[in-house]
Amino acid sequence: MTAGKSFTIPVGPLHVALEEPMYFRIDVQGETVNAVEINAGHVHRGVEYLTTKRTIYQDVVLTERICSLCSNSHPETFVMAAEQIAGIEIPERAAYLRVIAAEVKRVASHLFNVGILAHLTGYETLFMHAMQVREIVQDIKESVFGNRMDLGAICIGGARYDIDAEIAAYLTASLDKLAPEIDTLEQTYRTNRSILRRTKGVGVLTREEAIACGVVGPVARASGIDYDVRVAAPYAAYDRLKVPVPTLGDGDVWSRAMIRLIEVRHAIQLIRDCLRDLPDGPAHIHDRPDIPAGRAVTKCEAPRGELIYYLKTNGAPEPERVKWRVPSFMNWDALRFMFRGAKIADIAIIVNSIDPCVSCTER
Amino acid sequence: MRLPEDIAAQLRAAAPSGVDFSSETNPRGVTVAWAGLANREELTAVAKTMLALGARLSMISASLPPLPPEEDEEEEEQEGDGDAAAQSEAEPPAIPMTFGGTPIDGTSYEIDYHFDLGGDTLTVIAYVPSGGAVASLTPYFRTADWAEREMMENYAITIRDHPDPRRLFIDPAIDSAVLERLIPYSTLVNAASTKALWDKVVSGKGGAS
Repeated sequence: MTAGKSFTIPVGPLHVALEEPMYFRIDVQGETVNAVEINAGHVHRGVEYLTTKRTIYQDVVLTERICSLCSNSHPETFVMAAEQIAGIEIPERAAYLRVIAAEVKRVASHLFNVGILAHLTGYETLFMHAMQVREIVQDIKESVFGNRMDLGAICIGGARYDIDAEIAAYLTASLDKLAPEIDTLEQTYRTNRSILRRTKGVGVLTREEAIACGVVGPVARASGIDYDVRVAAPYAAYDRLKVPVPTLGDGDVWSRAMIRLIEVRHAIQLIRDCLRDLPDGPAHIHDRPDIPAGRAVTKCEAPRGELIYYLKTNGAPEPERVKWRVPSFMNWDALRFMFRGAKIADIAIIVNSIDPCVSCTER
Repeated sequence: MRLPEDIAAQLRAAAPSGVDFSSETNPRGVTVAWAGLANREELTAVAKTMLALGARLSMISASLPPLPPEEDEEEEEQEGDGDAAAQSEAEPPAIPMTFGGTPIDGTSYEIDYHFDLGGDTLTVIAYVPSGGAVASLTPYFRTADWAEREMMENYAITIRDHPDPRRLFIDPAIDSAVLERLIPYSTLVNAASTKALWDKVVSGKGGAS
């Protein structure tokens, strides 16, 4: 680009749209984005290396601390790999308990993202409302699991928590309180003009581009890709539950937000189904078997999409190699397409629409 | 679209030097397959086969498999019960070899390419001896881009023909192959937690203090 007409503006590493640091170097021509370069690595902590210095059982605790919003998905996928290598079958009750934990986290994660979207469009009342609604889920987490972020719900061989009649009744009552609030929120995001004007047709990712980038989760489903690990490769109790996979075709910021809101509704139903079908029995197996030598690849549907873990063991207490790839890892790349022809004012909204997770990406 | 029935045959056609194939389908109908390549130069042909099937390159895991000394001893003890005792005594420092003949002596790399096809997983494994190179899959799969860049900064692996082989997460000022060396934490985080940062500031000023 010739000098004088185009400018390079920095967005980040610290920016209001990012809960975590990421640096975008954006070339703009007037008000329009020409090119974007993503510079990562500000919160690289070397967790992959750390996992090989701890035992497999300790890594269950460590992997939960990779990320906050999808904290439950990391140990869930990790223990699935360990269980596969050791040939451990988890109790039936544990499979349902894992689904409940995962879906509670999904509701909280999606509501956070949708709330931030309202904040970035300048609609602070809606932001406050979404966060207030999310507080119901935070209370669920605190009451059922004892923590507001890291649930500590997963262990090798099952679930680390259990639900009795009292907790089940509390959960049901909370969901009854939550469900109408979600309907109201969805209605607002569907009809409010401020939201529609800032999100419709903004940050479009076509289906072809989505496939090329290999995006997953709500970003892929908003671009018409019908892929959800819970259905494509069922784990825990998902093969016995009805998991709808909503898709939309426009691939814009609005579609991605809408997919998340619809999935919140589905997640609430999934938790209710689990409470209804919850079988009796132990929540976890009662020994801690050694994990033999072997390798396994497992995946699960984290709030942001497919999370995949590779675990290689050699019979030692510590794993030989643990590698994981989080959904955000590819979704960043899709930003290059979403930014095409975007306005400077929309940059933050588009970045937020992939629900970026920097700690996850960089580990 | 799931993994086709004849996937092993298709892989063997793409990699004539040999494929160490195994697969397992769980009761829920999800297949996890593994394919070790005898010759890493055939990786590109295998990748093209997967691309034609519509697969997504989900993840790439590189590792440096260590030589497990304790395990070797256990194996020898076990073999001592049977006829193989004489054999293992004859060559005590036997270095385990991969299917394709790459020594797993603690200096060879193992690179696992995890492909997803409608929920099924196929992991293609290429072994790269120390100092060897492997072709980039980025020209075929965009998703290989960051994974290969990360691989290059974590290990001393050479990726041939990567279109953009810059650092991804680690600062260019830090030597490569961070997972192969002990790097003090203060160096890795640019001395954020020690007086090294202060020393750096002072030296940057030309020793003003």
